[in-house]
Amino acid sequence: MSGSMIKVIFGPQHPALKEPERFILNTEGEYVVNAKVRIGYIHRGIEKAMENRTYLQNIYLSERICGICSDAHTTCYVQAIEELLGVEVPPRAKYIRVIVAELERIHSHLLWVGVAAHEIGFDTLFMYVWRDREIVMDLLEQVSGNRVHYAMNTIGGVRRDIAGEKSPKMLKGLSLLEEKTKQYIEMIRKEQTILKRTIGVGMLSKSDALKLGAVGPTLRASGVKRDVRKDDPYAAYDEISFNVVTNDGCDCFARIIVRCEEILESINMIREALKKMPGGEIRVKVKPSIPPAEAISRVEAPRGELFYYARSNGTDKPERIKVRTPTLANIVPLCKMLVGGYIADVPIVLAGIDPCFACMDRVLIVDSRKEEKRVWDLNELRRYGKEWYGRH
Amino acid sequence: MKWARKKSPWIIHFNTGGCNGCDIELLAALTPRYDVERFGMLLKGSPRHADVLAVTGPVTLQVKDRLVRIYEQMPEPKYVIAIGSCAVSGAPFWDCYNVIGGVDKLFPVDVYVPGCPPRPEAIIEGFAKLLQKMEEEKRE
Amino acid sequence: MSREEEVLEKLKEKFGEGILGVNIQRQRRIFAEIDRSLLREVLSYLRKELNFDHISTITGYDYGDGIELIYHLAYEDSLELSVKLKISREKPEADSVSDIYPAAAIYEREVHDLLGVEFKGNPDLSPLILPDEWPAELRPLRKDEKLEDIKSAIEAEAERR
Repeated sequence: MSGSMIKVIFGPQHPALKEPERFILNTEGEYVVNAKVRIGYIHRGIEKAMENRTYLQNIYLSERICGICSDAHTTCYVQAIEELLGVEVPPRAKYIRVIVAELERIHSHLLWVGVAAHEIGFDTLFMYVWRDREIVMDLLEQVSGNRVHYAMNTIGGVRRDIAGEKSPKMLKGLSLLEEKTKQYIEMIRKEQTILKRTIGVGMLSKSDALKLGAVGPTLRASGVKRDVRKDDPYAAYDEISFNVVTNDGCDCFARIIVRCEEILESINMIREALKKMPGGEIRVKVKPSIPPAEAISRVEAPRGELFYYARSNGTDKPERIKVRTPTLANIVPLCKMLVGGYIADVPIVLAGIDPCFACMDRVLIVDSRKEEKRVWDLNELRRYGKEWYGRH
Repeated sequence: MKWARKKSPWIIHFNTGGCNGCDIELLAALTPRYDVERFGMLLKGSPRHADVLAVTGPVTLQVKDRLVRIYEQMPEPKYVIAIGSCAVSGAPFWDCYNVIGGVDKLFPVDVYVPGCPPRPEAIIEGFAKLLQKMEEEKRE
Repeated sequence: MSREEEVLEKLKEKFGEGILGVNIQRQRRIFAEIDRSLLREVLSYLRKELNFDHISTITGYDYGDGIELIYHLAYEDSLELSVKLKISREKPEADSVSDIYPAAAIYEREVHDLLGVEFKGNPDLSPLILPDEWPAELRPLRKDEKLEDIKSAIEAEAERR
């Protein structure tokens, strides 16, 4: 395909710098006709590093794969190691894992709503949502002692208990969050700026979503009722009642609604978990060395199915740890969503899969008709989107 | 010129391959609860207009050249703040094959804000220390 | 018969000695080791006849004498079947299954990057996650690659360019 290069750079770097591309989009006029990807911006060689650290040290490393869903990572990791050991985690610990995981989901989804609002150019909403998100950050801090990287999980259970006194504060915080989230949903459903930029945008049909391996809210916003918490239950999820939120919209708007409604579900799940939580210990002792075995652990992270495969070799260090994050699973579906859409939609469609923002930093656009090299930064692309939608 | 710069330093932020933990706390520092903008600090997009380079992440090989080029593009006097243990020293990734580990391996850092991640308050304190340093250097 | 047993029985029935071993680890976790020549037929059968419509990922593992590829497939998001096969280390290749499972394209690319496995038929095995100045012969997840060696090789390559 002959063409010109319209290099679009995401991130605050100067447009004229020569860098490796991450996304290559072929365009014709206003439309994207093909999308190719190259990631690796944050590749740190973690799987290899894990082979050089003990199982306990690796909790610290897996937590830092992602600062937004770090609890999902540690939960998935320790579950894999517990299975290698054949160890059963005490029931109270399972409930605590659910509570922390759902608090994390709330913070992650709120963070995302703010970021999505920012992508559309709706900065007031971003500020409001991030202000309200502080409610859940405070709860996470009360429970774990930290706002980010809560270090709650250990092999064999959890490290801190959720004592009774923390619960009234938690319930109050949850009620407040519930009220705010309902307000946001109502507003989002009516706000023309949002509707115009998201309805019918970034379409991913139900069959494509399944065929291309989509996961999480991206999958559920294409009408597919799948959720690892329901289908392959772990921790205490098989004892908590909840709805798997889906939406038949298949577009960016559906992805927003699914995440907002998931926040409401999470709030109810935490309430139920606090009520039902049994007494007892919160961890069991485990041996540092693990005889040869293999295990698979899956968790529904805020972005979708998180997958860990672990193999032990008789020592205190793993033989192999394989991590597949949900964002990777959503990249092929993402390319599909971009094709046939407008260049103006690229930022919001990218945001729609809720990618780790560091992963999606560069985009190269190849226009097959014009012969020019143009360099754009993200602010220009956003402005272009706003103006374009202003005209159409 | 220098007085004006101290009163409202323009900051360019660059994530060199971190887990985003520091980035979300940096972003939180901009939101109403913490509000770093009351110091007059603004996040800008272009290195040519920036006074301060705020770096998060352990500096992966992928981004090393880009990071150095941004630094070179910034006009003098320029300042660097390393936010988070990764930017300070590489933290848990120090021995990973794709990681350089610590911004000061590439160019001088003026303020280090350790933490994994540092809280918004700590980040703001880091910026306050930087403002102080900029003020002191102006006086010399 | 449980669903786990049923799936493994059907595989054994259909492929006979091509199935080198099976294991039911627990509820929703089963493993099957297959002859490497049957990769495409087995995965095609699982996809079309047994409705394993989701591939979670592909794990590559260097065990010294060879490389093991593990295809992690899910039935209704619930039952995880891991299909394992062994390939040679000297000439690591396998057939691409990206026409059967489109999502596999990106996982094959990742295994290619980190272990050097060639997936014949995959339309795009360009680097996914390793940096541009990465020396092509260096495959980080290989067991004989030590961290220090990788680091010095990268530095040497960067000097050269």
